[in-house]
Parts: sequence; C-alpha cells; structure tokens
Amino acid sequence: MSSTTLDSTPSRRGAHTADGAAPGGAGRPAGIGPGPTFLRVLNSEFIKFRTLLSTVILLASTAVVMVGFGALSAWGTGQFADAAGSDPQAAEAIAAQGGDLAVTVPTSGIAFAQLILGSLGVLLMSSEFTTGMARSTFAAVPKRLPAFIAKLVVVMVSAFLLTAVSTYAAGLVSVPILDNYGLKLDLGSAQSVKLLLVNSAYVAAVAAIGMALGTLIRNSAGGIMSLVGLFFVAPIAFQLIPGDFFVEARKYLPGNTISPLTAVEHVPETLEVWQAALVLGAWVLVPVVLAMVLLKKRDV
Amino acid sequence: MIEAQGLTKVYGDKTAVGGVNFTVQAGQVTGFLGPNGAGKSTTMRMIMGLDTPTAGRVTVNGVPFARHVAPLREIGALLDAKAVHTSRSAYNHLLAMAATHSIPKKRVHDVIEMTGLADVARKKVKGFSLGMGQRLGIAAALLGDPQTIILDEPVNGLDPEGVVWVRNLVKFLASEGRTVFLSSHLMSEMALTADHLIVIGRGKIIADAPIRDIITGKGQSRTRVRTDQPDQLMHALAGAGVSVEVQDYELLEVKGLDPRQIARTALDHHVMVYELTPLQASLEEAYMELTKDEVEYHSLITTGAPVPAQSGGHQS
Repeated sequence: MSSTTLDSTPSRRGAHTADGAAPGGAGRPAGIGPGPTFLRVLNSEFIKFRTLLSTVILLASTAVVMVGFGALSAWGTGQFADAAGSDPQAAEAIAAQGGDLAVTVPTSGIAFAQLILGSLGVLLMSSEFTTGMARSTFAAVPKRLPAFIAKLVVVMVSAFLLTAVSTYAAGLVSVPILDNYGLKLDLGSAQSVKLLLVNSAYVAAVAAIGMALGTLIRNSAGGIMSLVGLFFVAPIAFQLIPGDFFVEARKYLPGNTISPLTAVEHVPETLEVWQAALVLGAWVLVPVVLAMVLLKKRDV
Repeated sequence: MIEAQGLTKVYGDKTAVGGVNFTVQAGQVTGFLGPNGAGKSTTMRMIMGLDTPTAGRVTVNGVPFARHVAPLREIGALLDAKAVHTSRSAYNHLLAMAATHSIPKKRVHDVIEMTGLADVARKKVKGFSLGMGQRLGIAAALLGDPQTIILDEPVNGLDPEGVVWVRNLVKFLASEGRTVFLSSHLMSEMALTADHLIVIGRGKIIADAPIRDIITGKGQSRTRVRTDQPDQLMHALAGAGVSVEVQDYELLEVKGLDPRQIARTALDHHVMVYELTPLQASLEEAYMELTKDEVEYHSLITTGAPVPAQSGGHQS
C-alpha cells in the first residue's frame, strides 16, 4: 500500500477537508477525466464478449454445426438428385424448386445456428444478472441504455458475421461433394449471396430477440426456454391446434419469416417478402424496446 | 460528500429504508453501522443509482450518481464482492470496467498490484476465496481513482492481514481528503476504523455522530464502585438522573455521576470505597443501547404496522 493512487496529487491532499463543509466537494476540479461514451462502452462490451470461454465455445460450435450440416446436406442432396434420374416424382420435385437444390446447401444448418446464437444472446444478458456483474456494469454506465445498446451491437454483429463466415465455409466444403454428383454450386451467384446475407441477418435478429428476453427475464434457463418456445414449440403447436386462426397466426411467428425471406419466388399461403421483413422486424423491435424501458426502470 | 434527503425505499409492504437524512463528509472515514437487514446495502445501492428510491434523493458531490459525467472517476464502490462474472479473469473484469472510462491498462495493473491480486489476476474469479473476491471488489472501486469511495462490508471474509490492510487503506484514502463511506455490522472493526458513525436500524438512522460521542454515550458514563457498605452508599447517591445497580456483593455500577462526585458523596457519608473505576462503554454496548431504544420504540407505537425485517430480501 505504498502508493494508493496514481495521482495522489499534493493539491488534492492539500485540499484540507477537515471542516468537511467544502460545498459539494467544490475543492476538486470539475473535469476529472473521460467518462463513458458509446464507443468506450462498446469497447468494454466487446472485451466482456471475448473474454468468456463459454462465448468462444458457443461460437465455435455454431461454425462446426453449420459446416457439418452443409457437408451432410450436400451429400444428401447428391443422393436425391441421383435418385431423381430414375424417379420421375423426384425429378418433378426438383423442377418445382427452380431446378436448383444445391443453392440452399450451405445454409442448411441455420436452424441450429439460430438456436445456439439466440441462446448466446440470452446468456450474455441474463448472466449479467445471475452473476451480479450487472451491478458493476451499471455502476460504470449508470444511464444503462448505452450498455444495453453496445451489448446488442456486439451480439448482432457477431451473430451476423459468424453465420456469414460459417455459411461460406459450409459452401466451400459442399462444392466438391456436390461436384461428385454432377451438381453445380456457385457461391458467387446472386441467390447464394442473397441466402448468405438474409440468413445471417435473420440469425442476428434471433440473437437480438434472445438478448431482449435475457434482459426481461434475467434468468438463463427461463430466457432460453422462452426462445425455444417461440422458435421451436410454437410453430408445431400452432400446426396441431385446429382452426383457421392458428393457420393464419402461424405465418406471423418469427421462425416462419425466414422461408418467405429467402424464397426465389413467392410461395402461396406464405407472407410476401416485405411482410415477412416487417413481421421479423417487429419481433425484434418490440422485445428490445420493452427490454430497454424495463432495464432503465427496474432496480439492478 | 454524500447527502441523503428523505431517502426511502419500499419493497412491497416492507420499508427497507424509511426516509433517512444523513451527510457523509469528505476527509474522514464514516462508518455505516447496523445489523443485517437494517437497510445499509439498500442505501448504498441507491447512492450508486442501482436502486431507484421510492422517495427522497441522494447526491454525491451535489449531483445524483447517474448524472456524473464520469461516474467511476467520481465514486468507486464495492457493493458486493460477487458483482463479477465468475467465468472471467480478474484482470479481464477490471479491463472491461476500465474500458468504459478509458482508464489506461497501467491503472488496471496498479490496482491489481495494490490489492495483492497479482498472482491470481489471470485466473477465473470462480476459484477465488471470499477474501480475494473482496480484494477484487476493492480494486474495482479504486479503478477510477475516485474522490468518493463506498465499501459495503469490505472486511467480510478477509484474513487478519487483509483486515488491517483495509483499515489502513481507508484511513489513508480519507487522509487524502476523500470521502470514505464504509458499512459493517462489526462494531469492533468500526471502533478501530471509523471517525464518524451513522447507525441504522430498521431503515431509520438511530445515531449520526463522531464515534467518540457514541462510545461515551453523552453523559451515560458509568462507574464501578466497590464498598463494604453498599446500602448506605446507594441511599446517599440516590437522586435525579442517577441509577445504581447492584451487580454483586459489595459491587455497584453507578450511572449519571462521575467518579469524583461519587467519592465526594462517599466521603460526606463516611462510607469506605475500595474501588472506583470509570467504565467506558464499548461501541458494542453503545450500539446495543441505541438499538434497544429503537426496538422498544417500535414495539410501543407500531403494533399493526409491518416490521421491515430484510432489506436485501428482494434480491436473489
């Protein structure tokens, strides 16, 4: 304890406050150093993001799953195409898809990517509350919302980039496999690029919904269960429950917006592309805004 | 300087903090003393802007915490040694905190060195003992070199060497003119560390005075008297504001008179006294005395009103 502070300046020590009544601590300078600007908070959130082993493991497993499913799907698609040669029914099915089955191969693992990265979104916020880290975070950034937005940026950008990169990697692995079956996959084609971008954006949106749920529920298990319920249970439940309402409502579930968004041509009985984009946008915006309002309001 | 005005926090039907007013001055160590659940931590969380007061306000150097331009450089707080993601290393935790205020890495290394965490700084906080967690919390509080330091139960779980270190640290910080606000339920520790004491019980301020005043109890000086004629002496001493208690055969404890007055009375009445010892109340006794009144006061007037038992009960 030789030196407690970097700048235990004589002026500060000299400011004898034995009377203690120095009005409002006026004896000290007003500008005492930089405070939390958004870029600084963003940097802090990025440090927090990359210094957790669990985050790194989840990101790596997403990449592995995406590439693995890409390879598996390439093989399966090849088998299917082979069968189509001797099976008129299969040939018809292929023709219905515009004749290009191979293009969706790189994104075939997207359902798992959204689950893992959505859960990561939940965890990054819920763990703040379960570990008590939130008290440190919001003591440093008492306005709270900059920390939330910075974390949201980190979560969405990393989910987008990871999905994009692993989709491309899955594509690179799939090309030679498809080639064995005489199928061509052009990773640079307009549809390939569109699938890569739209799916990556979609996963980023799911991660944002996850983070909003983590903020609202403040509990890892509860947040992940809600996310799974919304993306995996609700679509099945809505299918099982009879009635026109559920048939219609099912289209508006966030997990069902991805197929209209990536379709080459509009499929009947699904949302238009612009509708799907709006619905997904609302699914992100409403929980995020609610999370921000409550985060600002509630005690930490 | 920390100023609380009518600061109130109500959880459901429990009043954790009931309209307290106090001022924590710079340049001295102010102890915040009270039993568990008295409202200490809730008050400190409200100072740090983590809990919103139900009523009233609290300012640090005249401004509510959240309005400060650089909060970590203004106030450093150890509110809970567990305010850390336990899967992160101590160094990375401090680095992330420092990044919000552009605090240089050198300062991170300095506070690690200062708090004796150098050997474990790269390890996950999960494996930390309670004492090491406290040191990390103190490191985080000092990170911004703040003028105001708030430490909630800092010596909890520290070894004796650590306790002495904290004691010297807070005294040093106060000697630099900083505001140091320190909570504890350990009265003996407060007696050694604090200059000024704010005592809280059941969400209300019971006492707010220099520690010396609280120990001496303002006129409640007591004297141990041994005499072979206790009955005569008791009668002779009897009077307004004087209480005499028979503690043992030939042993009395007198309150309300100083030894000189007792000796004078004994001499006047020809009573032989063979011990006359002024007793200084320990902080423990002073505290018991203070809270006893508070408890009686409560049971006397609030039969139907809910009793705030737990302040921290809302947090899981």
